[in-house]
Amino acid sequence: MSLWSRARSWLGAVTKRSRMEREMDAELRFHIEAFAEDLVRRGVLREEALRRARIEFGGVERAKEECREARGANFLESLIQDARFGLRMLRKNPGFTSVAVLTLALGIAVNTAVFTAFDALVLRPRPVKDPDSLVAVFRTTPGDARGRFSYPDYIYFRDRSKSFSDLSLFAFGMALTSSDLPPTGPEARSRLAGAVGFQLPQLLQGSAQPVVAVFVSGNYFQMLGAVPLRGRLLVPADDQLGSSPVVLMSGNFWQRQFHSDPKVVGSVLHLNGVPFTVVGVTPVDYMGTLPNVPSLWAPVAAKVRVGGLAAENLENRLLIAGMPAGRLKPGVSLSDAQAELDVLAAQLRIAHPEDEKNTGVLLLPDRNDAAMLGPEEWALVGAAMSAVGLLLLIACANVASLLLARAAVRHKEIAVRLAIGASRGRLLRQLLTESILIALFAGAAGLPLAAWLLHLLIVEIASALPSAWGTIALQVSPDVRIFAYALLVSCAAGIAFGLAPALQASKPDVNSALKAEGTLFGRRLSRSRLRGLLIAGQMAACLVLLISSTLLLRGSQRALEIDAGFESRHVVCLEIINPANLRYPQARMLQANRDLIRGIASVPGVRSVAQASRDPVGGIRWVPVAPVEAAASASASHESQTTGAGYSYVTPNYFDTLRIPILRGRVFTPSEAEGQAPVVVISEATARRFWPGEDAIGKHLKIGLEKGTMFYPGEKDPFIPSSAVIGVARDVRSMDLRRIDESYVYLPLSQSRQWTRILLARTEADPRQLLPAFGHEVQRVDASLPVVGAPLCTMISMDPFFVVSRVGGLLASIVGALGLLLVCMGVYGMVSYTVAQRTHEIGIRMALGARGTQVLKLIAHEGLRPILAGMLIGIVASAGVSRLLAAMLFGLNLLDAFSFFGVSLLLGGVALVATLLPARRATKVDPMVALRYE
Amino acid sequence: MDKQMELLQGTLDMLILKAVSLGPLHGYGILLRIQQISKDRLEIQQGSLYPALYRLEHQGWIASEWGESENKRKAKYYRLTAAGRRKLQTEAEKWNRMADLIEGILGTTAEEV
Repeated sequence: MSLWSRARSWLGAVTKRSRMEREMDAELRFHIEAFAEDLVRRGVLREEALRRARIEFGGVERAKEECREARGANFLESLIQDARFGLRMLRKNPGFTSVAVLTLALGIAVNTAVFTAFDALVLRPRPVKDPDSLVAVFRTTPGDARGRFSYPDYIYFRDRSKSFSDLSLFAFGMALTSSDLPPTGPEARSRLAGAVGFQLPQLLQGSAQPVVAVFVSGNYFQMLGAVPLRGRLLVPADDQLGSSPVVLMSGNFWQRQFHSDPKVVGSVLHLNGVPFTVVGVTPVDYMGTLPNVPSLWAPVAAKVRVGGLAAENLENRLLIAGMPAGRLKPGVSLSDAQAELDVLAAQLRIAHPEDEKNTGVLLLPDRNDAAMLGPEEWALVGAAMSAVGLLLLIACANVASLLLARAAVRHKEIAVRLAIGASRGRLLRQLLTESILIALFAGAAGLPLAAWLLHLLIVEIASALPSAWGTIALQVSPDVRIFAYALLVSCAAGIAFGLAPALQASKPDVNSALKAEGTLFGRRLSRSRLRGLLIAGQMAACLVLLISSTLLLRGSQRALEIDAGFESRHVVCLEIINPANLRYPQARMLQANRDLIRGIASVPGVRSVAQASRDPVGGIRWVPVAPVEAAASASASHESQTTGAGYSYVTPNYFDTLRIPILRGRVFTPSEAEGQAPVVVISEATARRFWPGEDAIGKHLKIGLEKGTMFYPGEKDPFIPSSAVIGVARDVRSMDLRRIDESYVYLPLSQSRQWTRILLARTEADPRQLLPAFGHEVQRVDASLPVVGAPLCTMISMDPFFVVSRVGGLLASIVGALGLLLVCMGVYGMVSYTVAQRTHEIGIRMALGARGTQVLKLIAHEGLRPILAGMLIGIVASAGVSRLLAAMLFGLNLLDAFSFFGVSLLLGGVALVATLLPARRATKVDPMVALRYE
Repeated sequence: MDKQMELLQGTLDMLILKAVSLGPLHGYGILLRIQQISKDRLEIQQGSLYPALYRLEHQGWIASEWGESENKRKAKYYRLTAAGRRKLQTEAEKWNRMADLIEGILGTTAEEV
């Protein structure tokens, strides 16, 4: 009612302004003329009557202005006026404007880009139909809440559960070889990743090119509600052991390898020698529930055809086959489904008491990948987010102090406007409009900058991954919500910091301002205190960023220097990728293994070549181990003696090749290795654990369990009831660089019975130079072997500790450097402003005999105080932050003196220069000029 | 004629509402009617009349339309709306209560305290 009429009146006022003006004119004119006519009727002359009527009425223009205000019409009008005036002011101060706009734009862009990338890669719901009804299904056993499923278990739940419209299986990916693909040259390396220090193992030139295919159940695409780009998707009928082999191509692979040739659909592609029909192409960047885009999609049944899975293993309840995901039927809640599957799991335990004794099921929402992040990834994410957040804060503080400086300069202008009758509210609005204009310009500049940064970020991440790992989706545009958020923050900062000086400026003592006395003789305005506070805050934030980045970078450097316990610089690890693809009989594989060893060993510069079932960096596999003889110490006998130990089958020369010293006893003899005698070499830590204070040599270990636990194809764990300890080797760090392996056992490898994917070659010089020669040998032995090779030291660079601290440190130091630039600009601006403001005072001081150095000291003192205060706060805050970082990233040196004092000194020095440069100008003040200023 | 009194703050709106409650009027007419009712004892700033009219119209208590004046000229006529009538009633009650109260206070004698 009233609100409506008010809105209508306001709307009318705004839209029909000219009509309203005309009507207002007519109405007032009518009033004055009617009044005059009355006067004429009373006998006043017409001219005189009009004059008297006008005087009686008072100021017509003022009345009109009040009428406009009463109707609310003024709001828009004065807004346009303010904006126009603000634009003029900004244009008149291009230096101030560009610095403020660029500063904020940088803060907004970096925040938008980083948050968008994180959102797109992790938080954003999967790009599928109704992601909220997708659930991930895990097999739980005591100690493992996120276990995978065997194929018969998947089928059991798929066929019996009524909660899902579809329950699909993601059966992992596999690198396949194809003779139909053109050979590609050496992989393009990411420049950035290389500069940062990441070197992922490279395919040796001359070896076969792998293609990544992922295997999914036939109902997978039906569950996701996907639409093909060309042809059709996979259907349940494709996923039968007897059906003809079909494969689906990703749009990215289709573009890259086949240049979007439409004839590809329906053609034949040979994978591991088996002819597959290409049935369709998925849209470019389609990822389904994966974190990246594979090259090919194939049904689970095809995994049997290409040799990735034995047909009988589809019946094996202990063989890990994949991860199920389901779509809940409409109206079925997650807890309903959980309850139903709990009942089914209980029935399964009864039906298969041996294999499924401990099986349980856990359902989790499967909207996105956030649940897949481990604590270390979250630490990295947290560090990156806080760093860019701090950058936005620094940018806002910087603009705030710029605004404060400007308000001081405009003190006089504002006083004049107040003196000639501008209302205070109107002035405030004017000043705020300018702040908001700056933020809006920054937003306009920030959006394209964010898009560019995002592109750079994603392209770099993408090119850092070997193409064999699949591609990550590239089409990510800056997220509107995040952009709006960053813009809002900077607008709020503009308003908050525009308001303080505006309030202050709009209540000056008009007289003193007009006389330019407001700034005389070091009179401390609270404004300068606020500026000091801002500088101190920026300084502190910047110091936190720089110190954390130094801590992280030094931590990552230390990771590279850690003695892993084995030779890493002069050993190349060669790995045959997915040898199952070749479908060679055992004898041929053994022959290839032997030929390869002979070939590599014949390359000049190679000292020795050893064989191992696991690579020494990160490739750990666990087996339960327990001493056969009970420990002598009474305390140890109480606890369960079984523990998990890393294990590897190795040749006798393994220890010598990797320079792992044997501390006691001996290594296997060649005949023990060949005959796979029940002997074992254990690590020091293992010996200490089972036989503390005793000689482990001659004791016996039970390795493995009679009944296998869940296992991956081709990796059945060993079982040796009693194995004699013949040697104790020094501890190594194979699983995690930050600590030695808790226990590790080396088993004898028989070269005539076991082939391995891993070969280790020790070289005399830098092994990188020998990689081409190794590639040549691989090609000579068997050109269809896909072999990757890398020095062990570069493989260490894939350790999570190194990756997290290196990436986190680099991000923090880039952001910190930007922050440093902003702080310098802030300090420089503040001191220049102080000098400009106190020119008059300095002139008087110098006229009275003050020397240049005294003036310099005076000014520098003013500038340095907030800097020192900020540094103090920054150091204390950094100590807290480093404690947080250390809690997330074990292995950082908490109170690293270099990081704290070196960085503080550097920052302080830079700030000092930024102070002294403008302060020097104060000493150049000519007293005569300064005094004449009045 | 008594000496003219200045209008108490905030009462102009009420007087305008009262004036137009007796029938539609143009701005000048409102001025004349208030003066007539008050027997010329109230002094009204003519310039402040129109902002008040615009404000009241903006708030929906009066409505306006163009019509013809007594001497055949185009003039803007204001009339009271239903909301304005209610507003006038509550304002008048408030005013009367306040006047009684003030009168009571001012009429208090020493014995009564």
